[in-house]
Amino acid sequence: MAAEAGPAPAGPPAQGVPGDHSPGTAQWGSAGRAVLTSPALRVTGKRLLSAVPVLWGVTFLTFVVMNVLPGDTAQELLGANATPAELQTLRLKLHLNEPFWVRYWHWLSGAAQGHLGDSLVSGQPVTSILGQRLPVTFELMIYTFCLSVLIAVPVAAAAAYRPGGLVDRLSMMLSMAGLSIAPYVLALLLVLIFAVNLRVLPAIGFVPLSQSVVGNIKSLTLPALSIGLPLACFYIRLLRADIVEQMQSEDYVVTARAKGVAPWQVLIRHALRNSMFGFLTVLGLNLGTLIGALVIIEPIFSLPGIGQVLLQSISDRDVVVVEAVVLVFALIVVFANLLTDLLYAVLDPRIRYGRPSA
Amino acid sequence: MSTSLLDVRDLAVRFRQAGRDVPAVNGVSFTAEPGRTLAIVGESGSGKTVSCRAVMGLLPPSAVVTGSARFAGTELLGLSENDLRRHRGADLAMVFQDPARSLNPTMRVGTQVSEAIRSHLPLDRSAARERAIELMAMVRIPLPRRRYADYPHQFSGGMRQRLMIAIALACHPKLLIADEATTSLDVTTQAQIMDLLLDLQAQLGMALILISHDLGLAASYTDDVIVMYAGGIVEQAATRRLFSAVRMPYTKALLDAVPRLERPPHSPLPVIGGRPPDTGALPPGCPFAPRCPSAADRCRQQAPPLLEHEPGHRWACWFPCENGDPG
Amino acid sequence: MAAPLPDTLLAPGVAVPAPAGAAARRRRRALAPDILIPAAILALIAGGCFLWPLVYPVPAPVGGSILSAGLPPFSPGHILGTDPVGNDILSRILYGGRVSIEVGLAVTLIGLVIGGVMGSVAAYSGGIVDTVLMRVLDVLIAFPALVLAVAIAEGLGPSELHVIWALSFFSVPAFARIARAGTLRLHGQTFMLAARLSGTKAWRILLRHVTPNVLPQLITFGLLGMGVIIILEGALSFLGLGIPDPAPSWGNMIALGQGTLSAQPVLVLIPSLFLLATVLSLNLLGDALRKRWGVR
Repeated sequence: MAAEAGPAPAGPPAQGVPGDHSPGTAQWGSAGRAVLTSPALRVTGKRLLSAVPVLWGVTFLTFVVMNVLPGDTAQELLGANATPAELQTLRLKLHLNEPFWVRYWHWLSGAAQGHLGDSLVSGQPVTSILGQRLPVTFELMIYTFCLSVLIAVPVAAAAAYRPGGLVDRLSMMLSMAGLSIAPYVLALLLVLIFAVNLRVLPAIGFVPLSQSVVGNIKSLTLPALSIGLPLACFYIRLLRADIVEQMQSEDYVVTARAKGVAPWQVLIRHALRNSMFGFLTVLGLNLGTLIGALVIIEPIFSLPGIGQVLLQSISDRDVVVVEAVVLVFALIVVFANLLTDLLYAVLDPRIRYGRPSA
Repeated sequence: MSTSLLDVRDLAVRFRQAGRDVPAVNGVSFTAEPGRTLAIVGESGSGKTVSCRAVMGLLPPSAVVTGSARFAGTELLGLSENDLRRHRGADLAMVFQDPARSLNPTMRVGTQVSEAIRSHLPLDRSAARERAIELMAMVRIPLPRRRYADYPHQFSGGMRQRLMIAIALACHPKLLIADEATTSLDVTTQAQIMDLLLDLQAQLGMALILISHDLGLAASYTDDVIVMYAGGIVEQAATRRLFSAVRMPYTKALLDAVPRLERPPHSPLPVIGGRPPDTGALPPGCPFAPRCPSAADRCRQQAPPLLEHEPGHRWACWFPCENGDPG
Repeated sequence: MAAPLPDTLLAPGVAVPAPAGAAARRRRRALAPDILIPAAILALIAGGCFLWPLVYPVPAPVGGSILSAGLPPFSPGHILGTDPVGNDILSRILYGGRVSIEVGLAVTLIGLVIGGVMGSVAAYSGGIVDTVLMRVLDVLIAFPALVLAVAIAEGLGPSELHVIWALSFFSVPAFARIARAGTLRLHGQTFMLAARLSGTKAWRILLRHVTPNVLPQLITFGLLGMGVIIILEGALSFLGLGIPDPAPSWGNMIALGQGTLSAQPVLVLIPSLFLLATVLSLNLLGDALRKRWGVR
């Protein structure tokens, strides 16, 4: 699916409080010290604290939705032929009759201690379900992420090298088409081409890492491409625009050219380097999209990941499992954004080394 | 003289914007000699920066450059980007106005200096580093070895400008162009930078071109002066001569506009009325006529040519000033 | 000689020559191909979906006879062929398209109006209202949209209306974010201050000053977002949570074709093509307008 075309990437977060470094402390070893005492960490700490209410809000919202929606877990579990007595027994057993707030509090306090409960459907502890299924989804997520970046950066750089040139126009056209394709559509097309016709990659099924590395990668390639390719197309357009803007309107690029630096070097060592910051923000913002797409793609390829579990649990009204999975997703998104901020603090020397000294 | 280091003849620059041609520079000619300093003076929009960037080949692709710019005999205009790149930094270098934006904020300053070195000289990383530290010392940056690994934002404005100069001089170029290099600095720092530039010039025997709007700067530090207006040269002479015998009313007005301590207190500051013209829509006749206090009908109808009316002193005016008085 | 009345001082800096006649060129380019072509395609698709069955008789999209199942394209009477159950594909495409377009428009408009107002008002009011809104938006953004949409659609049962509800849940905060950012950007500008100082009532300021300035961003975002919404609707239908069988939607047509992917790829390819064409045109149009209006 096309990632949300929100506002253009924001620059690095605002600088922190004026630093307290003496001039010229920038030797290699002091980098670590700089980060630990830097104002950036204070900002990150604040962000961490504000993440807590967000996580709470997410779980609360999920609980509300799951409970407000019509549908009866007990009914779902026992089927249409269940007697009222059986239904009532099950409800008591699963605490389904207790008021909303009690149940939420139950779940929340348990979750805070790390007890995510047991599946209402299977009785299996949620943590073990997560343990089985999460690694697969996680691996796919990382593979997709890497793929999208590894495709996007070189293509964007090549396009930006000569704006308006052949490579540029071609990649802009193709990327526009690419990001307009829905991941599930692309998945089926890729299966048609690579699995059915060319027979080089499997259409369904997952091969664990322990079994075979090559097989593992092969089984995840089509799913990763289905999500990664449209995402890469989105990134290509954004990154190319940023690089071109740097190349055309930033003074330090003129300085680099005046120095006699080769054009490719100017692009990569100067323009691309500075474009990466905005790119980092976009990567973080799109993680939610990536995760959402995983939920649809996994069933198509019969991958034993969290996506399938989620869909099934929603259908079963298995609140416990749904909560846990949503919480995990939200945690990933929140921490990914925190990581982005932290990376800024480390990578952007303006933040890392604080205010200028005389 | 064909023995000049830089020989610019009839340089003209047009910008192609969506089918329309906007002229920025209309045929300027000047030379630069080793060991001598040339000032190019004018208001914004006069074409002074565009001319020099055209010589360096640093204009955007929408620029169309005609004329000739010979550097040590080699014609620069029309050279391929690859060939031009070899000259840039090695033979001719440029220092820009805003050092805060002209340095890459995410790259260590030492690396930026080394990059200038390694783009032309086959030195390895440590040799380039040593040379970069020498350069930083040459431009009088204190503790260069320690500050090699610092980032631009950790330096003050004056220091950053010194870094820019270090970068420009990395390969001992024969010509240095300083484009409003001291405009964004305070007066004291300005003087320091100018002294540094002149010392380095003497040391390295470079030709120096100073682009500025500041006549005081031109008067104090240069050997020759060119005054530009609306994309063309309107007066050209050796500095001492120009300032002792100003001919062009525009130059005179510029001189008068410089605030002076000798003026009585509370006297209004003389300024030049009107605004600099749009080079794309110049009226017929002298471009300065609308703002010139001594403009006559002839001025508005016929553009005065730039001629050497007196030996070593060119101007373009029908009614030049005589001995400080308007014509 | 007496100096004339000063009206300007010499200013340093490099002036860039500004081209004259820009307005004239803009007028000439009002019908530029980069706007016209995607708009035309969209009009064609929308027109086709809504008007064709009214003008030209097509077989019903449901209740096809098993006797005419699985016909290839260009068969007599079924120009795009039939699906495994016997329904005419062209007709299903047209009726399915109606769904996609209705959902896309509805969700976008709901988001635009409600989200736009919410975002602008919150940004303009500032203070606690704004903070609360930001927190709520943070929560909704941290939430994988699809998951909740699935939950809502699942809970309410598959139907076009429920899909609209589910997707509006995310379109509203998205528009609110854009409207808020846009309003904040205007906040500090002089003309806003002037309006406030002149005693203009808040709602009038919002209506007459904020809205026209934020509208271009909202519209371009809306176009680009509509593509996303149509894809999401397709996703929900693909999962069986959108338009219920046997009523057609491009999404559930693709899902249906999944089973016979190798044997009859057209069942997947045809709705995919229409989906792609629609979303691509929306993206192209949104992008072209964004460039034209100078929106970031």
